[in-house]
Amino acid sequence: MDRDVDTFHVSVLKRSRMIFALAGIALLCATAIEQNSIPATNGSDAGNAKALKLAHPPVVLKDEAGQSVLVTGKPISTRQTCGGDCHDYEYITNSFHFQQGKTEMDRALLSSHGAPSFNNSPGMFGKFSIIPNRQLTAADINDPSDADMSQPEWLTKCGGCHTGGGISEYDLRGHRFLSPDAKPSGPLDPSYTVRDRDTGQVIPWDWQKSGIAEADCFLCHVPKASRGERKKEMAAGDFRWANNATLVDTGIVVRQENGTFRYNRAAFNADGTVKMEGLDISDPTLENCAQCHGFTARNTTTIQPIQHADIMRGTEKSGWIYNGAKISDTVSPNMVGKEKMDFPWDAHAAAGLICIDCHFSVNNPGRMIQEDPKKNLRYKPAEEDLAVYLRRPDHNFARGDIPPETVNLTKRDTMRACGDCHEAEKGHAFLPYKSTHLRSLACQTCHIPAVHFWAYRSDDWGFVMDTGGSRITMRGIEGSIVDPESEIRGYLPAYIPTLDKNNNQQIRPTNLITGVYWFDRSKGRPVFTWQVQNAFYAGKAIEGEFPYRPEILRAFADKDGIIDLPQAVYDTPEKIALVKGLLQKYSGVTDPELRIEVVPWAMTHGIVGKKEAVRDCAACHGKNSMLARPMDLNSSLPAGVPVIYRGKKLNVVNFRTKEPSFDNRVLLHSFYIAGYSRTAWVEWFGWLCVVAAILFSLLHGAIRLLGGRL
Amino acid sequence: MNSRIPLYALHERIWHWLQAAGMLCLILTGMSIHYPDRFGIFGSMANAVRWHSWIGFVLILNAFLGIFYHVTAEKYHHFLPRLDDFTGAAIRQARFYLYGIFKGEKHPFDTYPRRKLNPLQKITYILLLNILLPFQIVSGVLMWGADRWPGIFARVGGLWVLAPAHTLGSYLFLAFLIGHIYLSTTGPTPFSLLGAMITGYHVEEEKAQ
Repeated sequence: MDRDVDTFHVSVLKRSRMIFALAGIALLCATAIEQNSIPATNGSDAGNAKALKLAHPPVVLKDEAGQSVLVTGKPISTRQTCGGDCHDYEYITNSFHFQQGKTEMDRALLSSHGAPSFNNSPGMFGKFSIIPNRQLTAADINDPSDADMSQPEWLTKCGGCHTGGGISEYDLRGHRFLSPDAKPSGPLDPSYTVRDRDTGQVIPWDWQKSGIAEADCFLCHVPKASRGERKKEMAAGDFRWANNATLVDTGIVVRQENGTFRYNRAAFNADGTVKMEGLDISDPTLENCAQCHGFTARNTTTIQPIQHADIMRGTEKSGWIYNGAKISDTVSPNMVGKEKMDFPWDAHAAAGLICIDCHFSVNNPGRMIQEDPKKNLRYKPAEEDLAVYLRRPDHNFARGDIPPETVNLTKRDTMRACGDCHEAEKGHAFLPYKSTHLRSLACQTCHIPAVHFWAYRSDDWGFVMDTGGSRITMRGIEGSIVDPESEIRGYLPAYIPTLDKNNNQQIRPTNLITGVYWFDRSKGRPVFTWQVQNAFYAGKAIEGEFPYRPEILRAFADKDGIIDLPQAVYDTPEKIALVKGLLQKYSGVTDPELRIEVVPWAMTHGIVGKKEAVRDCAACHGKNSMLARPMDLNSSLPAGVPVIYRGKKLNVVNFRTKEPSFDNRVLLHSFYIAGYSRTAWVEWFGWLCVVAAILFSLLHGAIRLLGGRL
Repeated sequence: MNSRIPLYALHERIWHWLQAAGMLCLILTGMSIHYPDRFGIFGSMANAVRWHSWIGFVLILNAFLGIFYHVTAEKYHHFLPRLDDFTGAAIRQARFYLYGIFKGEKHPFDTYPRRKLNPLQKITYILLLNILLPFQIVSGVLMWGADRWPGIFARVGGLWVLAPAHTLGSYLFLAFLIGHIYLSTTGPTPFSLLGAMITGYHVEEEKAQ
């Protein structure tokens, strides 16, 4: 009997592989024919050619029970619709894009990679971030004060982008929500609780009511996907319908006035399959990726990096705009000096490259690279079968390993490096010591000489404002980021050394975001925002404004009794001591410590071509080397507190400059930059010898001259 | 009446002036590398690096040709100090430079074809040609070869060791050059020593009978 079952499975497997293979061959042939018929004469045409896509077979949208949603009216289950016989749902969702570190919540693994002890995972699902000074609560807590952001709350806050599956299907112990095994381990189990905003108490989360958000395949594979609509559902805790909401702009799903969803029968074929002109399943487009990752467009003169009340992350963190249009053509926002910027926002975007050209599925037979760098192969065309790939496309997309390193610990550095596409040795004839330069400098160092947009500069949670939030400052803009008239001047990056694939120290450009926050030394973790708020506020918000405690007002307010931005600073040790006492008194934090953390965000987009790249040797090798250029951090940084840099205490802040600035001299210590680096005693002694020789000659000659002995 | 003593053969003069021009160029290009934003006379640091390397190799070749000439022509003995050159003779020469020259005293050592260098020159050249010049050649070639022999380059400490060492050597060469040019004016007339290195003949006034 078992053998029969096995035989049946093998037979089905063979048949499905054959179908996939035939489908794949047919699709490739079709693509080849179509691409041959289109002349690709420039970047734009190349982009159009790229837009051609393989036709996905018609699909029936199914609910959780595998029935057509058109019949049942229930939410779409991607597990049933996309998974099932076609794609391996479990395999796909067991990847970083869906798990965000959940599969690497292993203390030993984290420690071995130098992660701080308070991080529960390497990804956003478990990692503390200075923006927004919050973190997923650890699974094994016993003390209510250790509860910060529970899993359901994380999903309501972050689930608009983080695409379901994994993190929104399984609890922290690996049980699928709503399954018989899915039960809280205790009253504080962060997978089944949430902190009540009004009472501050940890209360149960109703998973029956919220439902599960399965992987949102549509968000990336449907060009008209709406992250905004999805975000609304996730924020409302209506996880079950989140994937439906994503399809609202396709016309397949309609949001009704009462907020519920119905299906638009006109968008379906008579056989119950959904019409492909609506769903249009395809490889992720630029716009799909852009919804979450940063402003990205093939070619636009209007830049809108704030969408659905969110700043797109890549733009927010380092100011990148992946856009093929010229900066000089920008209509909005207000770019100062754009007349002189007659070059694209990004050279790769201008050349028609889309995100998946570099961040591809690593087992895509058309794009994959050799995994074992020790072998003398960069490409193994026979490694993966197309049918296998179509069933199990690896969603650990090719990527690098650059700060802030929110990536898989075990799967990183999987993408092609610049040198895998560009022959750098050939293109840099002007450059002496090519190997040394190319080894010591990331390509971005010269090819992102400046950032022409704004980005985060600081997020100060050490002093909470009366809005309940932090004080955020931006760099590269004068005025508000939501005002299109604000002058955008951009900024110059700071440079830090990082390890490349081959463990070479390499200098690369970054934006620096400086956080100020309280750290609980007794617990070995940051103080949570709600604890800081307890210390600062005397009660709940009235009309959106929290009342400060009298102690805070006495110490910080000006004569009118109001704490304005200039007063909300720790300019004396006494003020730090006061808040420390309040954290101990009102928030139960035994040993609070104010900290500064300087977080580098590496730049990878906003690449310029050779005309605009740094070519002047003196830019790096001169006295005012850009590599050692100070970057202003936050004008109100408290002095005398520990500074954390990339997880370790390391003072990279220079308070002697006009404004506290980034001092990377200690980081660049291992680099001798000819023309810039100096060995003090050599310079002193050397010049002493030279000056002595000159003085001797002058004096000796003068005496001879005066004595008539010349 | 003045006597003209043949002092420097054509080979020696070519060697000397090539060495002089090369050193001057190396100092200028070196300054351009060391101070790229303040001494950019070569257009760019990259140009300065290229010129520095080429001129360096020309000088190395010249140094080997110099060795070849001095050995085969048996003229190396000019540079070999005797024991007395480190003691009494050196003191006499130093006294002359620091005192006697101001009083119009005669040079303590006559110059003639078998003895071209005074004791202090011998000591200086023995240090310069046997220590400083090879040191500059080795450190310079190692830096030039950073991309070619990265293993050796790293083993000797990389730029953090080689660059300051080479820079220190350059300062010492510059100091020598200044002193050398000045001391070339201490002959019978300010330009007589210079003239000798151009014409090959040392002109000396006949002693009064």
